[in-house]
Amino acid sequence: MEKYLLIALFSPLVGSLFAALFGAKPKRLLTGIVTSALLFVSLISSLILLVHIASSDDIVRVKLFDWITVGSLNIPFGFVADQVSVIMMVTVTTVSALVHVYSIGYMEHDKGFNRFFSYLSAFVFSMMVLVMSDNFAGLFIGWEGVGLCSWLLIGFWYHKKDETRDINPSISPSWAANEAFIMNRIADLGMLLGLFLIYWHVGSLQYDVVFAHVDLLNIGLVTLIGIFLFIGAMGKSAQFPLHTWLADAMEGPTPVSALIHAATMVTAGVYLVVRAFPIYSQIPDIGFFIASLGAFVAVFAASMALVNTDLKRIIAYSTLSQLGYMFVAGGLGAYWIALFHLMTHAFFKALLFLGAGNVMHAMNDELNIFKMGGLHKVMKYTAILMIIASLALAGIYPFAGFFSKDKILEVAFDSQHYILWFMLWLGAGMTAFYSFRLIMLVFFGEERYKKYGFHPHEAHWYMLLAMAPLAILAIIAGFFEESFEHFVTKILPEYHFHVHGIVTVALIGVTTLIALSGIAFAIYKYSKGGFSEKWKEHPIYKLLYNQYYIPIIYEKVFTEPYKELSKIAWKELDLRVVDATVDFIANVVYKSGFAGRVVQSGNLSKMLRWMVIGLLVLIVLVIVYSPVR
Amino acid sequence: MDHILSLLVFFPALAGMLGFIVKKENIKVYGITVATIEFVLSLILWLVFDPSNGGFQFVEFIPLIPNYGINYYLGVDGISLFIIILSTFITLVGLISLNIEKNLKNMIISLLFLEMTMVGVFVALDAVVFYIFWELSLVPMLYIIGYWGGELRVYAAIKFFLYTFFGSLIMLVGMLFLAYLYYLATGTISFAIPDWHRLILPYDYQIWLFLAFFLGMAIKVPMFPFHTWLPYAHGQAPTIGSVILAAVLLKMGTYGFVRFLLPIFPDASVALIAPIAFLSIVMVIYTAMVAYAQEDMKQVIAYSSISHMGVIVLGTFAMNVEGIAGSIFLMISHGIVSGALFMLVGNIYDRRHTKLLSEFGGLASVMPKYATIFGIVLMASVGLPLTIGFVGEFLSLMGIYKISAAYAFLGGTGIILGAAYMLRVYKLAFFGPLTNEKNKNLPDLNWKELTSLVSLVAVIIWLGVNPNPVLKPINASVESMLQLMEKKAITKEAKDIFAHNKVELEAK
Amino acid sequence: MITLTHYLVLAAILFSIALVGILRRKNLLMLFFATEIALNAVNIAFSAISKYYGDLTGQLFAFFIVAIAASEVAVGLGLLIIWYKRRGTIDLDSLQSMNG
Repeated sequence: MEKYLLIALFSPLVGSLFAALFGAKPKRLLTGIVTSALLFVSLISSLILLVHIASSDDIVRVKLFDWITVGSLNIPFGFVADQVSVIMMVTVTTVSALVHVYSIGYMEHDKGFNRFFSYLSAFVFSMMVLVMSDNFAGLFIGWEGVGLCSWLLIGFWYHKKDETRDINPSISPSWAANEAFIMNRIADLGMLLGLFLIYWHVGSLQYDVVFAHVDLLNIGLVTLIGIFLFIGAMGKSAQFPLHTWLADAMEGPTPVSALIHAATMVTAGVYLVVRAFPIYSQIPDIGFFIASLGAFVAVFAASMALVNTDLKRIIAYSTLSQLGYMFVAGGLGAYWIALFHLMTHAFFKALLFLGAGNVMHAMNDELNIFKMGGLHKVMKYTAILMIIASLALAGIYPFAGFFSKDKILEVAFDSQHYILWFMLWLGAGMTAFYSFRLIMLVFFGEERYKKYGFHPHEAHWYMLLAMAPLAILAIIAGFFEESFEHFVTKILPEYHFHVHGIVTVALIGVTTLIALSGIAFAIYKYSKGGFSEKWKEHPIYKLLYNQYYIPIIYEKVFTEPYKELSKIAWKELDLRVVDATVDFIANVVYKSGFAGRVVQSGNLSKMLRWMVIGLLVLIVLVIVYSPVR
Repeated sequence: MDHILSLLVFFPALAGMLGFIVKKENIKVYGITVATIEFVLSLILWLVFDPSNGGFQFVEFIPLIPNYGINYYLGVDGISLFIIILSTFITLVGLISLNIEKNLKNMIISLLFLEMTMVGVFVALDAVVFYIFWELSLVPMLYIIGYWGGELRVYAAIKFFLYTFFGSLIMLVGMLFLAYLYYLATGTISFAIPDWHRLILPYDYQIWLFLAFFLGMAIKVPMFPFHTWLPYAHGQAPTIGSVILAAVLLKMGTYGFVRFLLPIFPDASVALIAPIAFLSIVMVIYTAMVAYAQEDMKQVIAYSSISHMGVIVLGTFAMNVEGIAGSIFLMISHGIVSGALFMLVGNIYDRRHTKLLSEFGGLASVMPKYATIFGIVLMASVGLPLTIGFVGEFLSLMGIYKISAAYAFLGGTGIILGAAYMLRVYKLAFFGPLTNEKNKNLPDLNWKELTSLVSLVAVIIWLGVNPNPVLKPINASVESMLQLMEKKAITKEAKDIFAHNKVELEAK
Repeated sequence: MITLTHYLVLAAILFSIALVGILRRKNLLMLFFATEIALNAVNIAFSAISKYYGDLTGQLFAFFIVAIAASEVAVGLGLLIIWYKRRGTIDLDSLQSMNG
């Protein structure tokens, strides 16, 4: 089985290096095919591992060689496929393989075709390292690796120039890429501190050693570790206040948004919380904070999605909101439910994004949904696929989202956090509304695109084919709930519900009700032409549309003062104070030399005079300090 | 093998002397050959080096002035081994990429002479020999900056020379006084560093001597606020000068910290952790900010060098194996990475004769290979895992965390600010539309530049993925040094630190 | 009774006169005379102390000084003549080429 683990891990890397060989060359279809094929190899290996683990409960471990050995620190390149990581592996490779196939079509006219596949496969490799590592340092390798690939892929169209925020809210791909990288770095520092803390108190970064020792540690210490690790998770999973990069990351090609910024990378934070459950289950207070933040983000992000007009940004906010749901589950101790929602979300959100990619392709990269409409006539299959994804996102039975999201609401209610439950319930309604607002504006209603001279067309058959498995999974994944629970709770703790029967049914009913009414409201409103123009002048609309002005606040509070301070540090402090002091001292020496050079006039009698003065001084000194007097 | 260190030290200088009779057309090949032989010699040294032995190996001892305890005393341990290899490697790579027409012969001979002084500093076990090489290294550098430099070259060269020389003189006074104290304690004078390591000094003397040594070395590092010579030196020096200055010469300072300050003055080192950590943190954050504001590509890298050196100093004063070994590894990795960065800036300067960021933009479209290599080196510079930059930074910060979480946090902001200024440079130079007409037909890297850069990139990745061959000897030497320090410690504070500066399982 | 003190006072007076001469005179020849006076002042002191201690070393030194003074005058006057031939003056202020 070790063999399959290595194949699953390294085939994306091989694909990436292969594609990199052609990096700067013109498009070769081969690179796309080879990388996709290798991804399928990886997927099959992961599935074999899944079957193996499910049938035998045997955890597969591989240790390649030691990475860092210093003092008592020993970090190996160790990988593990257990019930949790294998689920992640299957999720990641499934979505990645399909996105790779899809990208062959999506990127077909792009100059950077080979480069794109190289980056994309490198991302999958990093993600696999992240989920398969058996220690925190390995996780951090993957963590930074996905960050790097995300930077490369967000900035993939690096040649675009910077715009103002009015024209492009993300300014430019390269700007968005840097923003994502730096913001993630802030969180990574927190995570690093967490690793240091773990190391100095446990002496190892191996999961099993650390988790075995957690019980022995002081509770304050565990709390601190939990906070530090969660800061790391907040960056990667774009939780408030480190969330702004995710929406801007939509500057990347759409398959990237589907794979990295919806299905896999952004869920790494959730994965970390799930993985480190022995730590978080010790500290329910921090768990409650995580859950509260999650619930806040769920509503906060959903509210921004309500009014946005940018196709991809709406989906990005919805990703943010769904990540909030996952954190609620993770924070409240329902780790397997968080993981389950992570998985189902990966399927339907990737599907949604790929559908959005089809629409963008059809509309020559136009993103404003108010310039679309009625597209279902020309893009029937895409419309169907996106509606499936939206239904799953809205949490309608029998789609996957229903099972996982409802469970999270149940957990919130069950653990008597009624406020959290209410927020999530509200979020569910908003989710349903904005999802179908998008569907209505893009696929139904008046064909506004004709005004702007677009000629939309359906995507390639193989792109649609690549989406089909995701659609199937988005429909059926929910029915695996019980076997999923059974499988992962071999490692993760089970969650015991206290409420049963009628209350549960009522909860499901209430949630479904708000989701359905959200959908109904969206359909009703937008089949009648939507809201009036006056609404756009409303301060609430403006607040939401400008993302609560947070990007602007960040710019005014952090970016610009930092720039100014840097300038001051350089021009005023470094040149005028520090360096000037040094030069001043040098000048004093130099000038005193100049002043003193009159002594060396070359005139004998003047020099003799100096000599006599010196002599007299010496005589005086001798007399004063003479030991015998 | 008995005299391999002497060979390593004097071979380049002797070969350099012979270089005067080599024909002008052949001098470059000659220089590269000599540097290659020297590099191979240093690799052989690594090969025959016993990694599990923490003490000095290949020791050579010839009495020079035995009455005053001054001897020709050489030796190498895990701490110095890789800095020696770094010196020979960087010299070789620098020579390959050398792109100077004017008076090439003198340049190559100076470089070989410089190589002697660099290796000499790192193998010397006698303080006087150490000091001689330490000062001699200034001479070729002064010449390189002063002769081949930019417009302000004379100012920069003199500033560099006088500033570092001033510090060294204070260090010399410290050395003489230390030898005198040794005489008082034992009845014989000795300048041998291993002898000094065994000497237990009273606390007051330690503090004063520590400060004398510290000043000399801190100017070299350069630590805030003694750093202002560096931007001028880098700004004016030719590419090769900057490469060697950043890669090796700065490491002399931090090497001196590890070789002299910690083992000779353990109590003073512990007592002064807080002020030194403060200076280092200021250095990390402040110079990172200054780097962010720069308009000249090379100055960004010059200031980033200072910022990274701050992390090295933090790691050194962590007083535990993880931190010190990490800081030594970071010296090596910073040498490779900053060397590569300066070379890259040199490449673009050769093409455009400007380093101003405003002149560039969109270079990734015309120079994809250049952009790729720059990207990899940049990622190593910001400390991405699996590149050489991560290991040292991670270990250094991890080490200082044990002393104080606040130090680690503040020093760690360097990884954020470092990303900020490096990505800014990358965005301004490589991303965006290609607007400047002059950049539209820039040729990509040629084979000569590729050879030197690719070899650096190979090391960056290799040691990032598998740092253990380097870490192991460092670890052994650092461990034995720490044992020595623990044994020597006299103040309660120092004893506490050494006793508890390791992983401790806390009982509930 | 003439004691050692008298001799030393005489030597000191002579030396002071010489010193003033050295400081004030601008003519090189006069400078030479002044130095001769200074040397002889020292000679007197040497001889007197030698006598006082009954140790001949001092007188021996006085002879050395006389010899050195003689050779100094020989060389010095020679240089002086050459200088005069070249510059036409032996004024001290004309000898200022070695200034800092």
